[in-house]
Amino acid sequence: MSWHSQLRGRIWKLGKNIDTDQILPGYAMAAPMEKLKDYALAGSEIQDFASRVQSGDILVAGENFGCGSSREQAPVALKDAGVSLIIAKSFARIFRRNAINIGLPVLICDLEQHVENGQDIEVDLVSAEVTVSASGSKISGTVLAPNVLETLEAGGLIAKVRKQLKIS
Amino acid sequence: MNQIEEYLAVAAGKSEVHAGDDITVNVDLAIAHDITGPMAVEQFKKIGIDHVFDAKKVVFVLDHIIPAATVEAKVLHNVLKDFAKDYGVQLYNKGEGVIHQVVAEKNRLNRGAILVGADSHTCMAGAYGAIAIPVGATELAAVMATGTLDLEVPEVFEIRLEGKLNPGVYAKDVILHLIGYFGTAGFTDQGVIYTGSLVDELTIDDKMTISNMGIEMGTMISYFADRDRPVGTVKEVYTFQAEDIPARVACPPNPGNVASASDLSGVNISQVVIGSCTNGRFSDMLVAANILKGRRAAEGVTLLIIPASAEIAKEMEEQGLNRIFREAGGIVTSPGCGPCFGAHMGLLASDDVAVSTTNRNFPGRMGHREAKVYLASPRVAAESAIAGTIVPPGTVVPLGGLENELA
Repeated sequence: MSWHSQLRGRIWKLGKNIDTDQILPGYAMAAPMEKLKDYALAGSEIQDFASRVQSGDILVAGENFGCGSSREQAPVALKDAGVSLIIAKSFARIFRRNAINIGLPVLICDLEQHVENGQDIEVDLVSAEVTVSASGSKISGTVLAPNVLETLEAGGLIAKVRKQLKIS
Repeated sequence: MNQIEEYLAVAAGKSEVHAGDDITVNVDLAIAHDITGPMAVEQFKKIGIDHVFDAKKVVFVLDHIIPAATVEAKVLHNVLKDFAKDYGVQLYNKGEGVIHQVVAEKNRLNRGAILVGADSHTCMAGAYGAIAIPVGATELAAVMATGTLDLEVPEVFEIRLEGKLNPGVYAKDVILHLIGYFGTAGFTDQGVIYTGSLVDELTIDDKMTISNMGIEMGTMISYFADRDRPVGTVKEVYTFQAEDIPARVACPPNPGNVASASDLSGVNISQVVIGSCTNGRFSDMLVAANILKGRRAAEGVTLLIIPASAEIAKEMEEQGLNRIFREAGGIVTSPGCGPCFGAHMGLLASDDVAVSTTNRNFPGRMGHREAKVYLASPRVAAESAIAGTIVPPGTVVPLGGLENELA
């Protein structure tokens, strides 16, 4: 995925403490990489998410999104299913880093109470500003650290490491 | 600086580091298992170099789905087998046990060593003073290539545990108590240093149980202090009296939903799991065996016993524990993760209720997302197995003197 700092998408609302088992159940963990997207959020309340998600959709959740396992298959499943961005009040450490490392942007913003499921939002990842398309109202999130933006712009950590090791 | 910062400074080649600093640390050991390792290998190969930073410092362990339950799982095993052969790294593929236990047994790291693992319970190595940081597969691939990890120096808190535990209360109850108190996001991105007079009395097994579940309150590092020198400056100190901690149980849907075992008395159960990296050590098995000796698991309760390592399994065999478990109606499985992460050997249907000594009870963690998993100590798990319902310790076997009967 090439880097876009301006995103627009339809939102799916989720609650707090969405753990990695809900994002990608244990039974799906051994599935081949290209099949992971078929199990995205299969353990959550939106069990049929994989068949309904559209490319560019945005997840909006409460606190502690991605708590639990270090399984990177979880953000990979969301990204491959078409999710372009995850916005949450807070993220668990390993999930947040995993998402950034695979080039899936995550934004810390207390947005849940300000939007309805299915609404369109516009997001500027550099200024960390979210605009609700229908009303035009704006909500600010936490600005991403320079090294996070750098990783996202590179397309993920592997590209950054290649640069660091001077591999062309 | 505190002890964690001191070690991070050494690993970063700096005289001082402070919370919030972005640093690059040299890594002493990088580890992954059959679920995270293959993805790390795939990412590593995308980097495009023909060697890992130090073949002696990369270790893979097959523990999550061994023996392979599906063809897909065996493919994952083979990815690691091929990589280990081609790149000369160590692979434990004989069912040696759960990665964190195997690393502790075979590769005991020096205090202050930097361990990076593609598994969230890597933090368990903080029990013996390693600075143990859990990561995902891509970050591990980067470590395998460069030998370094970029991180932000965390804020560090001290948790002081004072006094003596009441009879029937164990290390598992301590960590469940703390997770219940601080919440599942209590220390996200932060470090914890354990100190206090209780800690001085805890065994290494006890410390492993506590540091293992640090991630369940979000910690980046869960570290037991070197008692021979000052802890140093920390953000805040929390003190707990061991006598105030009752036997605890984490109720669905997460490890932070903690109640006292006595308040759950009477909840019907259909499975008991004793094992995992949290509570699958010999000392845990001994507690369970003392309860189960000469008794039988209740009708309708499937009792699973899963040693954390082959060494533990061997000791169980030699000391006659396996026979006790089998005579109690238990199934003693091969060492490994078992049903803990929901892939094989003991999964639950929607109407099942389990008491487990493992570390997570998220929806779907051990099978169907409507199944209920309660987390408890080996003692509560074993007594509940016999009762057929959740019971507080001392219900089946009176409190006191228990640990020495079989030892």
